[in-house]
Amino acid sequence: MTISGSTLVALAAAGTPTGTATGTGEAVLFWLLAPIAVLASLGMLFSKKAVHSALLLALTMLCLAAFYLAQDAPFLGVVQVVVYTGAVMMLFLFVLMLVGVDSSDSLVETLRGQRIAAIVAALGFGALLVFSIGDVVVSNAGLATANADGNVQGLAALIFSRYVFAFEVTSALLITAALGAMVLAHRERIERPLNQRQLSEQRFRGGVHPAPLPGPGVYARHNAVDTPALLPDGQPADVSVSRVLLARGDVRKAPGADVVVRDASEIERPGDDQ
Amino acid sequence: MNSYVPILVLGALSLGFAVVSIGAGALTGPKRYNRAKLDAYECGIEPTPQPVGGGRFPVKYYLTAMLFIIFDIEIVFLYPWAVHFDALGIFGLVEMVLFIVTLLAAYAYVWRRGGLEWD
Amino acid sequence: MNGTLLASPEVSGFGGDPWWLVVIKAVAIFVFLVVMTLFAIWAERRVVGRMQQRIGPNRVGPFGLLQSLADGIKLALKEDIVPKAADKAVFILAPIIAATPAFLSFAVIPFGPEVSIFGHQTRLQLTDLPVAVLYVLAVASVGIYGIVLAGWSSGSTYPLLGGLRSSAQMISYEVAMGLSFVGVFLYAGSMSTSEIVNAQAHGWYAVLLAPSFVIYVIAMIGETNRAPFDLPEAEGELVGGFHTEYSSLKFALFFLAEYINMVTVSALATTLFLGGWRAPWPVSLWDGANQGWWPVLWFVAKLLMFLFVFIWLRGTLPRLRYDQFMKLGWKVLIPAALGWLLLVATVRALNTEYNFDTREIALYGGIAAAALIAVTFVWDLIAARRDEESAVEHEPEEFDAMAGGHPVPPMPGQSKPALTGVGATTTAAGPDHTATEDDR
Repeated sequence: MTISGSTLVALAAAGTPTGTATGTGEAVLFWLLAPIAVLASLGMLFSKKAVHSALLLALTMLCLAAFYLAQDAPFLGVVQVVVYTGAVMMLFLFVLMLVGVDSSDSLVETLRGQRIAAIVAALGFGALLVFSIGDVVVSNAGLATANADGNVQGLAALIFSRYVFAFEVTSALLITAALGAMVLAHRERIERPLNQRQLSEQRFRGGVHPAPLPGPGVYARHNAVDTPALLPDGQPADVSVSRVLLARGDVRKAPGADVVVRDASEIERPGDDQ
Repeated sequence: MNSYVPILVLGALSLGFAVVSIGAGALTGPKRYNRAKLDAYECGIEPTPQPVGGGRFPVKYYLTAMLFIIFDIEIVFLYPWAVHFDALGIFGLVEMVLFIVTLLAAYAYVWRRGGLEWD
Repeated sequence: MNGTLLASPEVSGFGGDPWWLVVIKAVAIFVFLVVMTLFAIWAERRVVGRMQQRIGPNRVGPFGLLQSLADGIKLALKEDIVPKAADKAVFILAPIIAATPAFLSFAVIPFGPEVSIFGHQTRLQLTDLPVAVLYVLAVASVGIYGIVLAGWSSGSTYPLLGGLRSSAQMISYEVAMGLSFVGVFLYAGSMSTSEIVNAQAHGWYAVLLAPSFVIYVIAMIGETNRAPFDLPEAEGELVGGFHTEYSSLKFALFFLAEYINMVTVSALATTLFLGGWRAPWPVSLWDGANQGWWPVLWFVAKLLMFLFVFIWLRGTLPRLRYDQFMKLGWKVLIPAALGWLLLVATVRALNTEYNFDTREIALYGGIAAAALIAVTFVWDLIAARRDEESAVEHEPEEFDAMAGGHPVPPMPGQSKPALTGVGATTTAAGPDHTATEDDR
């Protein structure tokens, strides 16, 4: 995909009347970055860790952005970085971290007909690319005309006049994306979150322990937060060690204390009653 | 093309600096092996075992990232529009108002449903 | 220049430097950024020290000026630890990804007008693009990767949470930041930094587009993760945030990136809103103020002013809670930026199309805006009071097991009534258990 896409774009650029020959700088750039892009996309396919795949995909996108820049499309090149590398790949990374996917996860497809749908979509997209790029190769105004008022201005003139319908439809697409995200990721809140005042009142009305809990006993021997502090009477202070550690059974006996600490469930802590 | 060469030069310079300092850091620092040093730092407790494939994020962040993409694309359309605004005139303004209002509908929906509330 | 391309998409006056000049400029920018970082760290400690009735570092060099350098050397002599659970390749790559883009943004920042270097006329700017400001945003978005990856690759809980928060924060504020630029582009008619500076010859956009400027300044502080928006490094919650597991020069690179980003956003604010290298008003009356090397001085002075604001804020404001921070970004800054943008565009269109007097528009627009603000303020007050009342009155309603005609589980806050009757004890044994589980 990467190779064919970029070579086609290169062909399209080469076919323009103004830039019949590719400049040396551009050729060097192409032969430097094209292998990187191809290797990165291969690496993306074959790498074991999902995050590595995502990173290599980002690298491929950066290479593509460089190609766009080299072909006198500065706006497209920079937007490629802002939208694809910056936003879309960030979403991918979030999702990968969100679900913690790994190669060890099962690859059972839950959506039926997914492969067929993907193939159809890919074919459609490929046809779209071939026809639109073919159209440009056959008849085009040329870079000089397109960039006459400046690249950004030329683009704006097209988007906001000839392609205004497509532009407005994009907003509908974006609405769909927002709805989809809400459906997938939003968890309805069934009760009103407590505000600062209510939290504070709750803390004191609970009457258990409004102040911060005592710190653990610190003995310079090892990871010391797992050892309870001692009360004046030599008893270990239950609340001074983290509940998480109690649950894990990682709590050590304080020196000189008779008991370790009571079972986690017996300890009364502020905020437990809610 | 020539406008990009200086960026490449600066990029090479800063990349070189970053790589050299990371390399140098490995050479100049001492190496005293200690098992506890290589553990994840969790304020002194034994590190929490990580689930396979790294930790998991709250799903809420997916919504943030998606909203970011939506607004990012809006910005990408806004920039050429703003640059070319004087030539587009009132028609351009109306087009963009329509676009923004459509997106605001999505934004308002997300807001009303509580998608913009964080804990 | 490539002769075949008649309309090459380059900004006039750039792209013609000989190679040695390009190298000199690139090295100068690199050195400037490193020196600014060292200076900013020192200045921050001194200024915050003063604000807290302390002295701050004053031992290394005159006024402690070499303190940051000493700290850097100290960091180099620390052990470079790669945690056992880390993903080694990404762990090493992350600081590089964070630091390199930080330098790159400065390539398009104008330091001054055309000067002569070794008999060669050139602009005091490394390069310029027709999409320069968008380029800065693009580079910034690559820099965010460094933070996400640092958090993820450490294989540790706190960095993961810190990195996640950091990146969510940066992308949230990047939207507000991006929207605040639109007004500037509208008036300048260009995204190239040098042309935006030129367009401000007769007035700074900080005055003309004051709301944009305010939104940008807030967003830039959020974007750089600085106080009062320094949640990713909230020590009390997340230890050190995404760089908890980093040590030695890898840590130093993150530090460097943070401070360079501060310098970059300040430089961008100067360029887009404060007239860039143009002399401030009383000085600008002097003819020579905007010529030769003087503008570098004005530029750096404006930059330092922003850096001081950063430090001042850190010394003054407490940290926001995460929900407050996101609320400010998504519910205040973004709608405000959008509304202001539409207002600016309307005024501009009326101005150019129908030749309305700007002052007239400003007057009526100002009245309308003031009315709108007043209405929202009153509405906010009423809403807040209503919220307060409903929060006080909001006692959990009595649990109705057959609400709406169907058997339902209790909502949070509702407790299931004690079951009475003979049938209930037998039939409700199973559901009873799950209900109490839900109660928690």
